[in-house]
Amino acid sequence: MNATLVLLLAALFAAPFTAAFGTARPSLTRPVAIVTTAIAFLAALYNAFRPGPVIDKEWAPAWGMRLHFEADGIAVLFALLATGIGLAVVIYASGYLPLHLHHEHRPEADQTRFFAFILLFMGAMTGLVMAQDLMLIFLFWDLTAIASYYLIGFDSQRRDARVSAFMALIVTGISAVGFLIGALMLDAEFGSFQLPTLIDTLVPNYESDIALVLILIAALAKSAQVPLHFWLPRAMAAPTPVSAYLHSAAMVAAGVFLIGRFYPLVTLRQWMLDGLLVVGIASMLTGGVLALTRDNMKQLLAYSTIAQYGYIVTMFGLGGTAGVFGAMFALIAHGLGKSALFLTAGTVTEATGARELSAVGDLWRKMPLLAVASALSAASLAAIPLTMGFFKDEYFFEAAAHHGRAMQIISVAAAAMTFCYLARFWWGIFGGPNIGDVKPVPFTLVGPIVALGALSLIGGIWPAPFAKVAEKAGQVALQSDDSFHPAYHIEWTTENGMAIAAIGIGLALFFTRRVWFDSVELAEVFGARFGPERAYRAGVLNLNNLSDRIHWIEVRDLRSRVATVLAPAALMIVFTLIFTNADNSFRIGRIQWDDFPLIMMMAVAAIAGLAAAIPRDHFSMALALSGVGYALSVVFALLRAPDVALVAVLVETLLGLLLFAFLGLLPRNVEHADVVPSDEPQEAGHRHRMRDWVLAAIGGSLAFLVSWGVLSRPAPIDSILEDYVELTPDAHGGAVVTVILADFRGLDTMGEITVIGIAFLGIATFIRRRRAR
Amino acid sequence: MNNSMSRQAARLLLLPTWMIAFAILIKGYSDSGDGFSAGVIAALGVIMQYITFGTETAEKLRPVRYARQISMAGLLVALSTAFIPVLRGQPIMTHYPGPGNAATHIGSLELTTPFLFDVGVFLLVMGVCIGIFDLLAHATRRERRP
Repeated sequence: MNATLVLLLAALFAAPFTAAFGTARPSLTRPVAIVTTAIAFLAALYNAFRPGPVIDKEWAPAWGMRLHFEADGIAVLFALLATGIGLAVVIYASGYLPLHLHHEHRPEADQTRFFAFILLFMGAMTGLVMAQDLMLIFLFWDLTAIASYYLIGFDSQRRDARVSAFMALIVTGISAVGFLIGALMLDAEFGSFQLPTLIDTLVPNYESDIALVLILIAALAKSAQVPLHFWLPRAMAAPTPVSAYLHSAAMVAAGVFLIGRFYPLVTLRQWMLDGLLVVGIASMLTGGVLALTRDNMKQLLAYSTIAQYGYIVTMFGLGGTAGVFGAMFALIAHGLGKSALFLTAGTVTEATGARELSAVGDLWRKMPLLAVASALSAASLAAIPLTMGFFKDEYFFEAAAHHGRAMQIISVAAAAMTFCYLARFWWGIFGGPNIGDVKPVPFTLVGPIVALGALSLIGGIWPAPFAKVAEKAGQVALQSDDSFHPAYHIEWTTENGMAIAAIGIGLALFFTRRVWFDSVELAEVFGARFGPERAYRAGVLNLNNLSDRIHWIEVRDLRSRVATVLAPAALMIVFTLIFTNADNSFRIGRIQWDDFPLIMMMAVAAIAGLAAAIPRDHFSMALALSGVGYALSVVFALLRAPDVALVAVLVETLLGLLLFAFLGLLPRNVEHADVVPSDEPQEAGHRHRMRDWVLAAIGGSLAFLVSWGVLSRPAPIDSILEDYVELTPDAHGGAVVTVILADFRGLDTMGEITVIGIAFLGIATFIRRRRAR
Repeated sequence: MNNSMSRQAARLLLLPTWMIAFAILIKGYSDSGDGFSAGVIAALGVIMQYITFGTETAEKLRPVRYARQISMAGLLVALSTAFIPVLRGQPIMTHYPGPGNAATHIGSLELTTPFLFDVGVFLLVMGVCIGIFDLLAHATRRERRP
């Protein structure tokens, strides 16, 4: 069996399966979600041992798009994270969500939606990491953004949840458009959407630079890197399992994934690596400093995520084997550790009702198992020896060691801050003074954390299996066969020295926190005042106002509504008139005696048109308009166009009847009143009348000029019409007009009749609502 | 309009109107007229009943009661003729039989997919015209006699 396909399908079908079973029977939601996620995880695990073959099928050949999936090293690493941590989170959520819905006074059935979207995210993420076609990557990339929108806004009754969901969607969605543009530019320049082809053929030039920068911006926005980081702390409005999943292993990981995928192209330009380095360091320091003083548990973890992904981006920026292998390994270590800490925060909030570190304490005695598990996870993130995270810092320091003194100091400072805020997090919950009571929590709220914590410990003692996964991913990113064997070196090396320094400084920071706490907290005030979130808010607000203003012009009254449609159309026609070559137009042909009936009918039409312009009551205006139509259909008949004449008569009849019927809908006083409103002041009425005359004169003469210009232009000699006439017998038809409508230009007809159907629905809704009022 | 002449005429004219619509539909592919005109003519026959007999009587006619279903069925027929070739791996709106292949005849009517498409258009247009008129008739009736 094709292992790649199994993984892809297992991940993609988890969500629809869960939704279908859950909708039929709400009690089935949780078991189905857990089982489907477990299957996807097993498939990912299988691919780790025996990567499946490449899937490469035609998709849209005309555009060079292919269904191209590959379970390579990067795909396996991220698929393992997405499905593995997904499994832990889904199990956790199966215990958490009923409690959450109960707190929010929502029906239990809402959980189906929750699980369906979380699994949709998992599927999108798995598809994303396996895709090798840029358009497929874009498709799954946007799917993750959509799923995250619904997940972050799951508590849609709360305003902050909606605002946060929208913010995440806007920031990651707009940058995704940048990705699309980049992908199209690469295709235009190098003729392929296939990443392997691009890696083989790309020679960096100006266009590819722009494309890659756009793609990197999309990646950095998704990974919540400075200055597009502000959506991540806001996204903490989501239920805790969502935060645990999206912000450790899935959504933000997608950004770093993209950097890894495009790494062979990025390394072609040193300045791009330097750019990554700058962004990574900025995120590392910003996130670290802000995390130091957060009181809200999830906020602290959110800023720590920004900092930790800053680490990873920095490592990619530093490059080399140490940097890239280290980044891949850090992804695993961080995913396991951070999801466990998020889940810990959720469990603690569930048990005590507190969301702030200052509102809990001394849970060490009451929840010992949770305390140990989250201590392991925190230790792993803080890079304590004997946990998995130790190696991530080891390679981080190794990569930094070759980049000068400043880089070494920055990396030690970042690691020390990491140690300090994680110590604050853990101590704030499990140590300190005893505050409040603890409710018992179901085991599903502790078990997944224990499993994740255990993995962090196992990875510290026996890193080989995790290193193997990271090695394969790193090899794909580096396009090399280098190997990666993290191990403890008990000797004096620069890296060990930096690690000891980081832990030492971290400890010192932790114990002196009373001294610096207030001054560091000012950073938050500074960020709120001058940070990029203000720019975002101002941008959204101004765009919204602009849209409101245009909307108001359009809906103010009937006149402005018609004007918003007709005025731009008229402008375009004026432009056409001015810029069209009018050499052969505007001629006056000769009039012959045979044309006499035609001219008579046109005169009738003109007189009827004039009659329609005389303002009396609506009824006679409608009659006069019908008269114009009937006269024109006679003109068509005289021009020997029976099909057009027939349709014109029929449409005129139908329109006339409909018009009279609609007149019946008008209020009585309007129906019989003068067309010109008489309640206006004399002078204003006069002015309006003048304006109407001017507008009518301009509009009428323009229409006249356009018709004259078009009709007096001689027909082109090579007209497609002759082909139509010639081909009609081949199409089994006799009447050219009908054959054109149903066959040659059938696609147009199809579009038009669809519009008729939709218009019917619109009219039905409109009239019904009017009646209901 | 309580004129007995117009009542008589309207009652007598309904079936011939439909006959003509039907003839135009069938003849459409080889002669003047098409599914659209046929649909409008058929609808006009029904609208005539509204005008002469009023909403209650007209609504007893079958096409009025099922106007919505007729229109949607027509749209479905037309869209399926357009999209079924896609399922068979051919471009959208491919018609059968192709050029040169003989089509089945019923009298002078050739059974081809463009004709089926035209039937879809006919049903849609008829349904929509009658449907809109029915909606209007209801809306105006309520407003007139509260």
